[in-house]
Amino acid sequence: MADVDDAESLARSKTRSARMESIRERWVGKVFQAFDVVVDRDRMLEWAVTCGETDPRFVDPDHPDFQASTSFPTHINIARGLPDDFTEIGSGRGIDGGKSIVWHRPMRAGDRLHVDVQIADVYAKTGRSGTMTFVVNRMTYTNASGEPVATVDWRMIRQD
Amino acid sequence: MILDLHTHSVASDDGRAKVENYCQWIRKKELPIDGMVLTEHRQFDAASDYRALEDRFGLLLLKASEVETDYGHCLVFGVNDDLLHAFDFARLDNPLGEVIDAAKRCGGFAVPCHPGRKNVGLFSHYEVKPPVDGVEVVEIYNGGSIPGEDERSVEEAARYGYRGIGGSDSHIVSRVGLCATEFADDIATMDDLVTALRAGRCEARTWRT
Repeated sequence: MADVDDAESLARSKTRSARMESIRERWVGKVFQAFDVVVDRDRMLEWAVTCGETDPRFVDPDHPDFQASTSFPTHINIARGLPDDFTEIGSGRGIDGGKSIVWHRPMRAGDRLHVDVQIADVYAKTGRSGTMTFVVNRMTYTNASGEPVATVDWRMIRQD
Repeated sequence: MILDLHTHSVASDDGRAKVENYCQWIRKKELPIDGMVLTEHRQFDAASDYRALEDRFGLLLLKASEVETDYGHCLVFGVNDDLLHAFDFARLDNPLGEVIDAAKRCGGFAVPCHPGRKNVGLFSHYEVKPPVDGVEVVEIYNGGSIPGEDERSVEEAARYGYRGIGGSDSHIVSRVGLCATEFADDIATMDDLVTALRAGRCEARTWRT
């Protein structure tokens, strides 16, 4: 019986690996959405206050270094999580695995930003609850000069 | 000498701690450990150089890996070029027996971690598959264990005659040092660590309450 279980387990594992390779080959690095957004002063202020910021750079519009607060890029994004025709993974909608933000330069009121959205990575890992697939959606914000402003990596988790 | 043999930094996809912040925390909280081993998930972080942090904080900072196998997760100490070419660190289903053999052959040492854990622990796989030849040491104390997991690890390790080590499995700074391993000899390099693990000159410790 153990041999049968082993064989089935190995077969499932090989199928999963092949599927993952196929998904990665098709999607990783592919930009599937692009849009422009103008940074609105009132939204910056509202978000900073809502988040409990107290730094005057974030909550005082008259401050000479007034800029968007740390998590603002996750607030103004209108990106889709996944391409419409993305490969079906697991069941249900999955869960949010969190977002990480790398700032390259300040985001100012009135800035017109270009946002490219791509699948940055797809990988699997195992844990107590079984095998989970992680899809990393990367939003890259650039300014009118083409300079990077912020990069947001959003991890979405699906259970196999 | 006491080392936390199982930690993750931001180099792991789910790690939220910078190594510098770990060092600051260890010193600020006066934790009774002399260093730690970074065991990043499914990879070996060859690029990071922690020597400046070692000097600044007076801690030993070594690098290893945590890989995934058909019998759960496994720490691999003494990773080198030969070992990196022996199997695919990124795979989820490396045969544990092959990982253990490859580590031995290439001068390293493999230790199944959190063996009492469901799905990703050695002993949960022993329920449905035969024991794996070559296992000598398992991580009997893991800082991320839920109640019952470490107890099972200790019990089953004794049953199979495996020696034990401890590691925090920390992904955030405040978890580092919850479990660790005390060595009879001074450890200065990864070779020292591998030698001590092979010789069994160490003992698992836990500070979990």
